[in-house]
Amino acid sequence: MSQVFHEIEKKIIASLRDNPKQSPESLEKSTQLSPDQIRRGIEWLKLKNLAIVTESKSSILSLGKNGLESFAKGLPERRLLDLLKTGPRKLPDLQKELGFVFGPSMGLARKNNWIEVSLDEISIKTPPSELLGEKTLKLIGNEKLSKDKIDGNDLSGLLKRPDFIIEDVVKTKEISLSDLAKSIKISDSVGGIDVEADVPEIFVARTHPLKDTIDEIREIFVTLGFSEILGNMTQSSFWNFDALFTPQDHPARELQDTFYLDGINSKKIGTPEQIRKVSESHKKNWRYQWDINEARKMVLRTHTTCVTIKHLAENKPDEARIFSLGRVFRNEKVSYKHLVEFNQIEGIVVGKDASLRNLMGIQREFYKRIGITKVKFWPTFFPYTEPSLQTMVYNEKLGKWIELFGMGIFRPEVTKPLGITQPVLAWGGGIERIAMLKYDVGDVREFYNNNLGWLRSATKCQ
Amino acid sequence: MPVIELSYSRLQKLIGKVTKKQISDSLPFLGLDIESEDKDLVRIEYSPNRPDYSTDYGIALGMQGLFGIKTGIVKLNVKKSNNYQISVNSSVTKIRPFVTGIIAKNGKVDDKTIKQLMTMQEDLHFGIGRKRKKSSIGIHDLNKISFPLVYTTTTRDHKFIPLNSEKETTVSEILTNTDVGKDYGSILGQSSQVPIILDENQNTVSFPPIINAAVTTVTTKTKNLFVEVTGIAKEDAEDMLAVVATILQSAGFILESVKITGAKNSSPKLEQRKMIVGASLINQTLGLNLNSSKIVSSLKKSRLDAISKGTNIICTIPAYRFDIFGPLDLVEEVALGYGIQNLEPVLSPSQTMGKINPVSIKLKSLDQTMIGLGFLEALNSSLTSKRVLYDMTNRDSTKIISVLDSKSREHTILRDSILPGLLENLSKNIHESYPQKMFETGTVFATENPISEKINFSGISAHKDANFTEIKSIIQSALNVGFGIKVETKTATNPTFEDGHCASIVLNDIPIGIIGKIDSKIIENYKIRVPVVGFEMSLSDSVLKN
Repeated sequence: MSQVFHEIEKKIIASLRDNPKQSPESLEKSTQLSPDQIRRGIEWLKLKNLAIVTESKSSILSLGKNGLESFAKGLPERRLLDLLKTGPRKLPDLQKELGFVFGPSMGLARKNNWIEVSLDEISIKTPPSELLGEKTLKLIGNEKLSKDKIDGNDLSGLLKRPDFIIEDVVKTKEISLSDLAKSIKISDSVGGIDVEADVPEIFVARTHPLKDTIDEIREIFVTLGFSEILGNMTQSSFWNFDALFTPQDHPARELQDTFYLDGINSKKIGTPEQIRKVSESHKKNWRYQWDINEARKMVLRTHTTCVTIKHLAENKPDEARIFSLGRVFRNEKVSYKHLVEFNQIEGIVVGKDASLRNLMGIQREFYKRIGITKVKFWPTFFPYTEPSLQTMVYNEKLGKWIELFGMGIFRPEVTKPLGITQPVLAWGGGIERIAMLKYDVGDVREFYNNNLGWLRSATKCQ
Repeated sequence: MPVIELSYSRLQKLIGKVTKKQISDSLPFLGLDIESEDKDLVRIEYSPNRPDYSTDYGIALGMQGLFGIKTGIVKLNVKKSNNYQISVNSSVTKIRPFVTGIIAKNGKVDDKTIKQLMTMQEDLHFGIGRKRKKSSIGIHDLNKISFPLVYTTTTRDHKFIPLNSEKETTVSEILTNTDVGKDYGSILGQSSQVPIILDENQNTVSFPPIINAAVTTVTTKTKNLFVEVTGIAKEDAEDMLAVVATILQSAGFILESVKITGAKNSSPKLEQRKMIVGASLINQTLGLNLNSSKIVSSLKKSRLDAISKGTNIICTIPAYRFDIFGPLDLVEEVALGYGIQNLEPVLSPSQTMGKINPVSIKLKSLDQTMIGLGFLEALNSSLTSKRVLYDMTNRDSTKIISVLDSKSREHTILRDSILPGLLENLSKNIHESYPQKMFETGTVFATENPISEKINFSGISAHKDANFTEIKSIIQSALNVGFGIKVETKTATNPTFEDGHCASIVLNDIPIGIIGKIDSKIIENYKIRVPVVGFEMSLSDSVLKN
């Protein structure tokens, strides 16, 4: 199999196959590519594990002012020796011709025994054909040269002289091919791009994760034979409490738990018969003076049960599976586990054969479909159901049992006054709790923060 | 739900031969949730309809039934006595008309028992006593009281030494200076007379429903108790007395009766009741097929008595179980005695076809269309604040719908518009990359007979090139593709939008919404650095209209 490469990559690989270790500069020369193209090409090849870039530090030498002069005219001692080649010379003459390098060059020549000095004349003896340092001067010349290409001994003399050698420490790159690249087949096709490179992130438009959970739950209950009904979030106390056998002096009805709408009362709360029979049930069973004005007070519903009970009272079905889904309200301090407004699902089964075991069976099936298999039931208390149970489900992530839906059978004190004759199974609970488990969200407020960072990244299917 | 703290070792002593683990495993099946455990201590939550579970004595009675250690009804043995009498003066009739009481003798009261009794008293006051309004209890050291007593009224300058005090105080001072006085004084209203229980020597025993006298304080040296309950309904007062009497008997006290006369008062009967329930109702409701003897034994495990007669079960219910209203309550007692853990869930096939509500279907279609247009769905609370709804967006706040006494300042007003919430969302996301495009559908509220709830649809687009044309294209495409509806825009002004860049959304010549470029001052207030365009329209008046 051969791989498609960009033209730049192809040229670099080809050049490196001829000459295995190169600097970027040398690649520029061999490939005729611009420095930028070379840089990008090396980067691409490196990401594909085809190129190896080794970086090292090295000294680059060039000639200083005195060095350049010596390169042009010869070292001072060479100039002295050249003057003596044609025969002995007088000292003042030499002094005049050599200028200020006369002193150092004389010193060096005498020390090395290249010249003989008599009273008024200086003559040459037997100097070496190449002086120490001359090789280096020639090698460097007007260019720059890496220190490791120069004979250290030859260089050492020049380094001691002022302004002869300039030493720069630079980082150098050396590019070579990896073993993979040495054997890879290069496709002939042109115009290929780097399909493995990183690309910019784009954000998906999506439905809200909580809405996804709501939709999922809605669909499960529809497939279990339930039909969806809708109802208002603002309700009279009559339907939110009285019709559900919650006495008017019950603590749950106080301002500190329930949101009452400021100065808003409902004129028409129910049929005269409904009102009469509900009030009678309260008077008889709870023994207090039932007050219709209390029942008229408008509240933000504390559960969706008011929607289903109203539906039952209006339709009185002999057989039904119905559910209602929506926002409910509690006057609580907002915290990581409490909201003032959250979603609840609430369902009922009406039918002469409806039993507590059926109700438990529906719950178990629902949990199974949202992926919860460890479920148990505990007795509990709700004012409007008897018997009442709560589901406990085991959460693997948290390693503990947590409470989910509550359920029960509507009390006759609830159903009889409203003319409902068949047993009614009811169940319900909060949806945010399920969504928290699903999306691994520890703070329930996250669902209403509309934090784009989270909304754009939360995995849709969990 | 009320919470009490119990000790496993004390419970073990009260119940009989059971292990700590057996107790903790069984508590939930009595309807008691374990809140937390710490070695020997366990905190449990009980239902307010079972005030007998407010002490370990009551819980032990229930546990004995579940474990089969002791089953059947808890009989109250009250010795008839003529030594203890309360006469009631008719002056109490209009204030707090009823008193009842009982004597409990020869008990041992240690610190833990006192603590349990105090918790029970407080829980009874809060729950069935409705914060002492309906009924309230006083528990006294019997030996400090000279019978007969009188339950009467007195003036607000009546003086006595109240509980936890050493000096004589007037009723008025108690009501204005003490915590209990401040908390419960309002129950007595403004009347110049207040209820009082005085003994033979005119010494104050109790000032119901506020405070007892110091002299009758119960200590670890107390052996004999006098319990009085006062209230506005005789039955409620006696219900409360029944709970206290049952608990005291379980704690080892011998009960003796108190004779009460005058002003429509009478001695408490604390009688058992009989209730009939059909075996078929039990089996149908639970989905079981239990024979009579199993039903009877289950009821006995729930500490009731029962015998079967034909297809019926005749139940005997003790006075403290006033939470039992009718036959269905007995069904639950059978279920508890039988053991909820023994009920196997069954899934019977549905006789009905399920159906999604048409409104939900349409809203979901709209969601999908908006996502296709690159908009992300947001969700905001319907209960929000004046700041978000009106102050930040210059909207008219004359017709607000507010809730009473909200515990959260950010949640005080029902929204009449969705768009302000989306603007608020943008302001919280200024550090996230642009373009930012969001939409929301949801309920908005208006005052109308008494409240109308409609569903609105709002969308917003924020980025450096955002403009009117873009957002108009969005709404037109969404409604056209989603529902085949063609809307037009007509020049309008609106305080939230910039003049000259604002229009009404019009359907069949009827305005159903508003669209345009958000006013630059609002954008500035929100510290948003890019232009924002948006719209809001009624779905109830358009696509959801029948």
